[in-house]
Amino acid sequence: MFSTELFLQTLISGVMIGVLYALMALGITFIYSIVKMINWSMGEFYMIGSYLQYVLVAYWLGPDLWYLAVPIAAAGVFVLGLALEPILIKPMFRQALERRDEYATVVTIALLLLLRNLAIGLAGPNQYSPGSTLPTVMLGPLPVAGASLAASLCALLAVALFYLILKQSWYGLALRAVAQSRIGAQTAGVDVFRLDQIAFGIGVALAGIAGALLAPVFLVYPANGVVTTVKGFEIIVIGGLGSIPGALIAGVLLGVVESLGAAFVSAPYQNVYGFLLVLLVLLLRPTGLFGERGRQA
Amino acid sequence: MNPSKIAIGLIALAGAALPLASVRADDTVKIGLEVPLSQPGDAAAGQLIRRGAELAIEYINTEMGGINGKKAELVVQDSQGRPEVGVAAYRKLATEDKVIGVTGFFHSSVNIAVNEVANEIGVPTIATQASAADITAKHFDIAFRTHAIDPIRVEAFLEFIKKKGYKRISLVAETTDYGIGITEEMVKQNDAGKFGLELQKIGFDHAATDLTPLLLQVKAFKPDLVINIGVGAPLDLMIDQAATIGLLPDTPMLISYDAPVRPQFWQLHPKDGAGIYFIVYYSPKEELSDIAQWLTKAYQAKYNESPIYSNLNGFGDVAILAQAANLAKSTDPKAIVHALETGKFKTWTAAPVTFPRADGVYWHNWSPPILIVQYTKPNQDWRDAELIVQHVGAAH
Repeated sequence: MFSTELFLQTLISGVMIGVLYALMALGITFIYSIVKMINWSMGEFYMIGSYLQYVLVAYWLGPDLWYLAVPIAAAGVFVLGLALEPILIKPMFRQALERRDEYATVVTIALLLLLRNLAIGLAGPNQYSPGSTLPTVMLGPLPVAGASLAASLCALLAVALFYLILKQSWYGLALRAVAQSRIGAQTAGVDVFRLDQIAFGIGVALAGIAGALLAPVFLVYPANGVVTTVKGFEIIVIGGLGSIPGALIAGVLLGVVESLGAAFVSAPYQNVYGFLLVLLVLLLRPTGLFGERGRQA
Repeated sequence: MNPSKIAIGLIALAGAALPLASVRADDTVKIGLEVPLSQPGDAAAGQLIRRGAELAIEYINTEMGGINGKKAELVVQDSQGRPEVGVAAYRKLATEDKVIGVTGFFHSSVNIAVNEVANEIGVPTIATQASAADITAKHFDIAFRTHAIDPIRVEAFLEFIKKKGYKRISLVAETTDYGIGITEEMVKQNDAGKFGLELQKIGFDHAATDLTPLLLQVKAFKPDLVINIGVGAPLDLMIDQAATIGLLPDTPMLISYDAPVRPQFWQLHPKDGAGIYFIVYYSPKEELSDIAQWLTKAYQAKYNESPIYSNLNGFGDVAILAQAANLAKSTDPKAIVHALETGKFKTWTAAPVTFPRADGVYWHNWSPPILIVQYTKPNQDWRDAELIVQHVGAAH
């Protein structure tokens, strides 16, 4: 049954969740831009971010200082990414491999299984929540959990900060150079392997931030990154691989389409609407809404 | 380092980190336990059932003298709550581990899929906490159950609804065999019993995390009662998100199974849990059997908490399989099936369990009573929850 109030509520809900999905997509697309590989284990870094947030809030900082826990959790995931990249990813570039993409797929899927099962073994099967003392807020006609609103706003802040660093800092310039031409950047004296490591760390840290922000909203458990990973990949297809504005806009679009579809068409097919959008974009604009055709020598 | 070696090493580590089956020993009789130990299954429930089952093995070996003179051994497989994984796990248990029976089933969709294969292989299954009618309705010789079935559960729901005078009911159900089964049974019994209820039926994918759009629809419907038919994480997400949009606490919510008895419940819902209605499967005032009293002491000593229904039934089902093998004086699956059908077995309740070849969905079924209780204040122990309805099904 249609009502303007229900429509507005659903729209707002979709926008908010879309911003958070976009953060995941940003991590995936950023890693791809620099390292030229898809990290299939992004959901597990989201999961690690959520567990770190829970531990920091539940055992040290308390729910009132959740905003301090988020950057600490993100830093933890960043450091983990920095540590894993030289072991797992770098060897693919050090040697001249014919099937580098396939190796990347196998390695990151194996990492996905390892991290998820380690989480089950170490943390157990129960769901946790760091809790939130933020009050419910009215966004127009929609009551929104304070934690959800804070998560969406912090996600936007993270995206803005990330964009700023990419555009204004030397590291950002170097990263963009590597994304444009790896060999060209290397010729100019940029240590591309070091940048790969940093880019991987930043990419997974973005997923970790999403996990930390969503911990009080979507709970903390070993498989909580699965759905957001799928959404992340849908978004990069819709928005265009390698496009930051594309990731944000596509994230919001996906969130809105899924929410409106679930509310006004049929709820059990909520995830299907996103895939239908993916198919539509692939048919009409295969490179994504903001993607560009690549050129390779 | 060679990338292929890295990949192989990671895969090996990933496999090693997976939940393992118990270490085998020669000269033992094996009992299979198939439970969800990882998502998307309700892994918390799987762990609780497993705890009870492990203590049952200890009971069998120390108090019962083993099975046919041999030590009992538990072989555990993770179903992940997915039918295809469950079927593969059952095949391994039945054909490689040569278990005498497989129990522990929690997810109806897994149990239904496994029973199709079990009907060919012949090793019996006992559903520990899976309630869809089809598990036993197909009258497979190998299918047994010691849990409330959907028709009885829905009878309890309707008794509760009638008592409260509710008319508009929202059924928010995951699109699994469990969720769809309960929804269809509600529609059927509402029509047959002429309850005159106005039912809103909303389904959602078990893996969904954002349930707000559905709950907004529920709120717009203005129901007298919301029945939360999610299992595991979706159940908790629904409570949280319903509270956020103001659906709770103004609209009562009934949880379709006993998840709120777990200690975790109050950690997740410190404020929103008060007022929730939920199912439990035995009254705290009910007299438990001597083996249940053994379990209670052992469980308390090991885990520093009292056992709940999942532990009790997991314990009971493993003990039943051991008793069946002793009664049959054999580990042959056909002999075990015959013993299960004809014998009387001790479990955690004072009354013995039997598995008659009854009509319809009551085939090979023993059902505990269903109680609907309500938490009336935060951090309340489930034993102190207010009793609203105590329902005993027709076949009990």
